[in-house]
Amino acid sequence: MDRGWYFRFGLVLVALVGSWFVMWPTLHHNDWVSAPDWVLENVDHRITPGLDIQGGLRLMYTVDMEAAVEDRQRARAQQLLRRLGEKLDIVEEGEAPDEEQLSQIRARVNAQIGSADSRLIRLTFEDADDMAQLDRDLVTSFGDLREDSRGADNVSLVLQEESIDDLREVAVNQAQETIKNRIAELGISEANVRARDIDIIVEVPGADETQFDRIREIIGQTARLEFKIVDDGNTWLTEMQAQLPEGVTLLSEGVSAGESRPAVTSYYLFAEGSGDCPEGVEADAADGQCTAKTRLRGFVQSVEGQVPEGRSLALGRASTDEELQPDEEPDAWRTYLLYEQPPNGSDPVGGEHLEDARVGNDPQSGQPLVLFSMKPDGARLMQEMTGNNVKRRMAVVLDDEVASAPTIQSRIGASGQITLGGFRDYNSLLNEANDLVIVLRAGALPAPIIPQNEQLIGPTLGRDSVIRGAEGALIGICLVLLFMGIYYQVAGVVADVMVVLNLVFMLSIMAFFNNDLTLPGIAGIALTVGMAVDANVLITERMREELRMGKSARAAVDQGFRRAFWSIFDSQLTTFIAGVVLFQYGSPEIQGFAKTLMIGIITSLFTGVFCSKVMFDWLVRGLRIQRLRVG
Amino acid sequence: MEFFKPGLLIDFMRHRRVYMAISFTLVAASIAAIFYPGPNYGTDFLGGTEIQVAFGGAVSSNELRTTLTELGYEGADVVAVVEQENAYIIRTREFSAISEEQKDQIRANIETALGGVDGASVRRVRIPEGGDKVRIELTGDVDEAVLSQAIADAGVQVIRVARFGTASAHTYEAQLAGVATELLEGLRDRLGDRGPDTPDRIERVGPRAGAQLRDAAIKSLLYAIAFIMVYVAFRFDLRFAPGGVIAMAHDALITVGIYVLLQKEFNLTIIAALLTIVGYSINDTIVVYDRIRENLGRYRDKSLYDVINISTSQMLSRTIMTSGTTLLSVSAFFIWGTSVIRDISFALFIGILIGTYSSIYVAAPLTEWMDRRFFSKAKARARRARSKQRKKA
Repeated sequence: MDRGWYFRFGLVLVALVGSWFVMWPTLHHNDWVSAPDWVLENVDHRITPGLDIQGGLRLMYTVDMEAAVEDRQRARAQQLLRRLGEKLDIVEEGEAPDEEQLSQIRARVNAQIGSADSRLIRLTFEDADDMAQLDRDLVTSFGDLREDSRGADNVSLVLQEESIDDLREVAVNQAQETIKNRIAELGISEANVRARDIDIIVEVPGADETQFDRIREIIGQTARLEFKIVDDGNTWLTEMQAQLPEGVTLLSEGVSAGESRPAVTSYYLFAEGSGDCPEGVEADAADGQCTAKTRLRGFVQSVEGQVPEGRSLALGRASTDEELQPDEEPDAWRTYLLYEQPPNGSDPVGGEHLEDARVGNDPQSGQPLVLFSMKPDGARLMQEMTGNNVKRRMAVVLDDEVASAPTIQSRIGASGQITLGGFRDYNSLLNEANDLVIVLRAGALPAPIIPQNEQLIGPTLGRDSVIRGAEGALIGICLVLLFMGIYYQVAGVVADVMVVLNLVFMLSIMAFFNNDLTLPGIAGIALTVGMAVDANVLITERMREELRMGKSARAAVDQGFRRAFWSIFDSQLTTFIAGVVLFQYGSPEIQGFAKTLMIGIITSLFTGVFCSKVMFDWLVRGLRIQRLRVG
Repeated sequence: MEFFKPGLLIDFMRHRRVYMAISFTLVAASIAAIFYPGPNYGTDFLGGTEIQVAFGGAVSSNELRTTLTELGYEGADVVAVVEQENAYIIRTREFSAISEEQKDQIRANIETALGGVDGASVRRVRIPEGGDKVRIELTGDVDEAVLSQAIADAGVQVIRVARFGTASAHTYEAQLAGVATELLEGLRDRLGDRGPDTPDRIERVGPRAGAQLRDAAIKSLLYAIAFIMVYVAFRFDLRFAPGGVIAMAHDALITVGIYVLLQKEFNLTIIAALLTIVGYSINDTIVVYDRIRENLGRYRDKSLYDVINISTSQMLSRTIMTSGTTLLSVSAFFIWGTSVIRDISFALFIGILIGTYSSIYVAAPLTEWMDRRFFSKAKARARRARSKQRKKA
């Protein structure tokens, strides 16, 4: 045996040992081979059964881009009218127009929007002289408008095509975030929400029929955004201290609660990490306990009747000292005591009054902040509410959850900005600003989603089919192995070892990428078993031919491999090309199939060409077999 | 153990015209079958709702069909599940729980219902495409129950009506029950104890998603063919590419044809199987081509006709072994698998049989024909070979 052989043999061994470790957690979780803790802690790879096997719910939604574009057109038309109102000296700059001013503007300019396809906004002027007011500066100031054509008394503007792409991205992100939050609300931790183009796919393993209706209902609702004033300085919570369950603590912070009360102590409840569940609540954290949010909500619900008149206790995320991974969100929650109606007698303001929100930069510090603008009627309500509550905190509440609670620095009219507190780095501020924009837009411009596809697979059906599928696969593979052994004898046994090795490598690569094992995936495995066999058949047939020509065992092995290699390579590569195309353009089911096919081709090349050569070399060089029995 | 004696030479090419004629007929018949009777598209492609459910008592598929028609699901498809007693797959074209007439009915009902309420009239009623909710904007407040009743009167099941947004918006949102829920409850109502249990599977596909799927499937097939053709032309020779690709299309088309003729459901699973067949077919063809290419170098004085015969004969043992073992494992899936796996393995079984046949009788003869017709170099070569034979004689 030369040194090269030992090296190659070592490589096979390393691959095998690596596979074993990658597979170990999967084997452990199926109660086949139990793994020690240090393996479970350090090896984070696992094959999970796909939805079609373990049963569950799969929903697909499409973002209604047409509605989103129309919303944008409508918003821009309103803004244009207001800006023209300023230029025509009907409204003062920065002020929100009232009903009368609005009708004055409409008497001089009229705005119409075209279909979403046309992306048109047409402004018709009563007096052609006013048209000069709609100059280039005004149009370009929006960033996404350009002039399309100018008639005798009208100007057509069009939304730029690139802005539609941005809009799509924002709408999809927004819909995805909203759905994620809703599902988190239901306490389903293993749900998976992901976006693909303009589709949003929700997968909930193990869901049954009743949950199915509930989840559909929750996702289908349009987001509800409200602005509420925080009742800081209310000491009611201190009375609750005796009733607090373990793991929920009463904390206080110093905040401003109005111009006359610049520094008050505000109390709030805080919970962090998982802990014991409140009575009658099912565990929703991974360790069989309840998340901070569930625990805190459980308590808040139990004291609902005791909350002071006209207030409500709402939950929001809290910051934590814990160090976090970039995409990780802390499991820390706190409460805010909110006024149901704005104090000082103004009308409530909600998402329908908001026009748009986006991320901007503070001109002085350069830090990211959130800019938002109000619709004309909303602007008046906002002026009233914020004017009466300067230096108080205003909570941005989405679906009854507080997303942010900035302090009102001064009266807000047609537009305002939210500065994000804390001395943090640019990126974390930018992330928070993006999140808040999503929340605001979710309430203002609910990107409507249309259900496209709903699948509910009963767990029994899935289990049944996988057990029988696995039986079929096992019997099929055994038959093939048996037949190969009889027909090709020694070479057949080598081929059998390689087929088994191929399966091991394939499954471990799937585990390495944490892939799901779906039914189409199993079909892909079956096909690659066939292809692994083919590689060995090709080599063995070649060896037979060489041996017939009277060559020695050693020469026959070398020639067999050398000659068969290119046929194997070419045939596998063409199939691999098919796999890549399938993966690129196929639906998720087809992608599952394509993935196993591609993995299988790579592993069958490795086992068929590399590993089996190592084994044959050992036979003819190590054991010095003179007559190779290949049937 | 050996099935074929070494040195065996079979004249595969002798009857190539007969086989080509058979293949041509089969492909033509398959294409005709795609137009008539046409594929039995599944819910995946057509859109609609599909429910697989077991029933509490004995129900015949006829009874089920009539009950469904009575419930207003006309043209609903009922298929018995083979492995389970009293279990059926119910398929309807309906995706949205509300029809166009019902939409108008809902609008009219809300108008009428609000006639009796002061200060509230309809500003806008919006029913999105998916038909899972109704959004009602009014000018004043109204009791949710009034709206709920108005929608229910149009024959639509309402889960609940909730107020939406701030008080001044006067907006309400009604959540509607889905087709599946409605259908199952209708059946439970009619059949009583024999009614459906908890469904094993519900699938609802929007018409747009169906079209998307179909486009994606066709696109991936075409791209796969194109890329493979380029690779073959690059690795082998231009004259090899068309034969391989035609053989591949031949296999896919005939499998589709057989599926259509048997009126088996045409769904995503079948697309996956077809793609596998395409992969297998090209794999098999390439192996045969590879040997032909090798032998072209070795037997310089023989015509392509002979080289193909020699190569195919040399490869015969391998071809039989590989397709045999693959067929063996596919049959195991067919015998022991359940519905989805069975469908895949059935398609694969046909595809592998045809794929093996086409490598020998379609791809190789086509390449030879291409060579004769378009590459004169080979003509000269054939002439040389013939004159040599004559000299020997």
